[in-house]
Amino acid sequence: MQGYQNSVLRVDLSSKEYTSEPLQMEWARKYIGSKGLAIKYLYEELAPKTDPFSAENKLVLMTGPLTGTVVPCSGKLAIASKSPATGTISDASIGGHSAVRLKYAGYDAAIFEGKLPAPGYVVIRNDKVEFKDAAHLWGKGAHETEGLLSAEYGHGAGILCIGPAGENLVGMACINSDYYRQAGRGGLGAVMGSKNVKAIVVIGDGGVKIPNIEKATRRFIEIMKEDCLQEDNTFVYDCGTTAFLEACNDGGILPYKNFSDATDENWVKYNGDVLLASKAGKRGCASCALGCGNFLKIGDATVEGPEYESISAFGPNAGVSDPEAIAKANEIADDMGLDTISAGDVISWAMEMTEKGVHDFGIKFGDAAKYQEYLKLMAKREGVGADLALGVKGASEKYGGEGFALHVKGLEYPQYEPRGSWGMSLAYAVSDRGACHMRAYAPNEEVFAASIPPYTPEGKGQMVYGLAVHNAIKFSLCVCDFWATLEKGMMAELVSLVTGEEWTEEDMNAVGERVINIARAFNQREGFSRKDDTIPGRLVAEALKSGPAAGQKIPQEAFEDMLDQYYGILGWDENGMVPGSIIDTL
Amino acid sequence: MKRLKFSKEACIGCQLCAQACSAMHEGEYSLSKARIGISSYYDKGKELKYLDAYCTLCGICAKNCPEGAIEFGDSLALDSGKCTGCGTCGPACPRSVIKYFNEKPLLCDTCGGAPVCVEICPHGALKYE
Repeated sequence: MQGYQNSVLRVDLSSKEYTSEPLQMEWARKYIGSKGLAIKYLYEELAPKTDPFSAENKLVLMTGPLTGTVVPCSGKLAIASKSPATGTISDASIGGHSAVRLKYAGYDAAIFEGKLPAPGYVVIRNDKVEFKDAAHLWGKGAHETEGLLSAEYGHGAGILCIGPAGENLVGMACINSDYYRQAGRGGLGAVMGSKNVKAIVVIGDGGVKIPNIEKATRRFIEIMKEDCLQEDNTFVYDCGTTAFLEACNDGGILPYKNFSDATDENWVKYNGDVLLASKAGKRGCASCALGCGNFLKIGDATVEGPEYESISAFGPNAGVSDPEAIAKANEIADDMGLDTISAGDVISWAMEMTEKGVHDFGIKFGDAAKYQEYLKLMAKREGVGADLALGVKGASEKYGGEGFALHVKGLEYPQYEPRGSWGMSLAYAVSDRGACHMRAYAPNEEVFAASIPPYTPEGKGQMVYGLAVHNAIKFSLCVCDFWATLEKGMMAELVSLVTGEEWTEEDMNAVGERVINIARAFNQREGFSRKDDTIPGRLVAEALKSGPAAGQKIPQEAFEDMLDQYYGILGWDENGMVPGSIIDTL
Repeated sequence: MKRLKFSKEACIGCQLCAQACSAMHEGEYSLSKARIGISSYYDKGKELKYLDAYCTLCGICAKNCPEGAIEFGDSLALDSGKCTGCGTCGPACPRSVIKYFNEKPLLCDTCGGAPVCVEICPHGALKYE
């Protein structure tokens, strides 16, 4: 198939050697690229029960056939590995410019194996790879690290780097790029840290060819204008994801004080109007048409975004309503290399633990100044930060408070409260990397568009299945989530144009379901099953107090019903196991 | 005479302009083979800055060409037969727009008066007027 470079860079960090090999094209036909193809490689190459922090674990950077073209919003890079936070497969989609640079360097993917003998960084310069000493970078924040590497390699280089959290193997450590873009979830930054890799610098001076490129480019421009640049998507240019704050508060799904409620009367104090008044510029990723990035200077914070997730985690869910404090926490988390969702959740949990007298973590709801200090302590595993770096699962197993520890499989809850959107509890439970809102996103159907009744298990298996298939395809292309109107028929057209082969919507559906199955098969091989597809106790035991979902809680039997529906649609058994007959086709 | 105009306030640094340019002229999506070089970056993460290498049709490249190989009218055109690949035009370009491919300069021909960089620019940062 065209559109690919037909080359995978394989880097052995232990021996500091590298080779290139042809892309497994028969796998690309089944998984397209990015998310799906990265998981396929790891499924085939990682031995079951591999320790995520061992040299045997691998870190995969995977592009797709659209990467490097002018298909709008196609500049994202899949990064995948076995997660130290959950023990599951984990892939994340990171923005910035690294995906296009890697493709222009001549590769579809780069696979990092082994471990550097000492802290270093890796420079991919077209067909050459250099291994550099990182003694001068180790211990530095992600922002300073990227600044130093940019000064040395130029602003045209794609840079992926970690902060102190990754170096210290914190399970919620992210990988940063372009200063303010992250592969946030599941501890991929800690995998990099475990391999002694502070940064990966990518310089790509080549290009990408596709069939009938002039005609295809005209069509991509047409699609960009007619489909991508329409109001349903361009709100992210105007206000980023800050727009979700009002929608979630109005819909009763905005987490408040560690998910003890789902509205915040103070939300107008830190909403998009307030934050974006300090906007200092706009920036998107490579090949982006939407441009969601709002560059802010507010108080003494400099940050891009802040995204809804970070606002909610550092704001209402922590009892904080100071916009400058929220932005500053965001900046510190980015610089420390911490996932804002998981880091936010564990501190909110610690606040509740302290207020309830279960264990004194020395921080209470609303304590914004201490909050910022705790983020640094977590990244360095110092003092109270050493316990909080365990995440809500690990910390609650040690100190109690498991009933209000919001996670699935050890990955902390994103900022959408399921008692106001029951399908979201299923989406979190069956997501391949633990609680994730990007695998299937129910609030559109259940709350914002309100096309499906939210407070019932009825139809939720089918709804989550449909959403999950859609996103599995989209992240395997890889196209940014913010091109929200992109339908499967158009995805098929895009892949057809770049590969020169006919793909149909049915083909896309088959890919999506296959991606879900291979991720599940990977996790199944690690011992995961229905027992791990869980709902946090709080959502079952406690009713919401305010907002349109006041009085709602999710009965355990309703949750189990949703699981049964979902498993049944995918042909999994009642224990959530993928049968051998499906595994044989993956 | 119409010229390219750039407004950094509307630029998101996507580089779709350069990718489309190289596709239409060289048959390949490539930043290094584009006849335009607009991008943005965060300087040390603290300041948003722009690189704005685009042809304003100033004609300095044509004036400096020792072989008279660059025709300058409503746009630029290279006479490949006359061009010796001496490399004079690139350093002479005041906006550092000109790159070389196979020793020949890549000159902005404004796509014959309908520049694709303008057509693809998603937020109107590039105009031709």
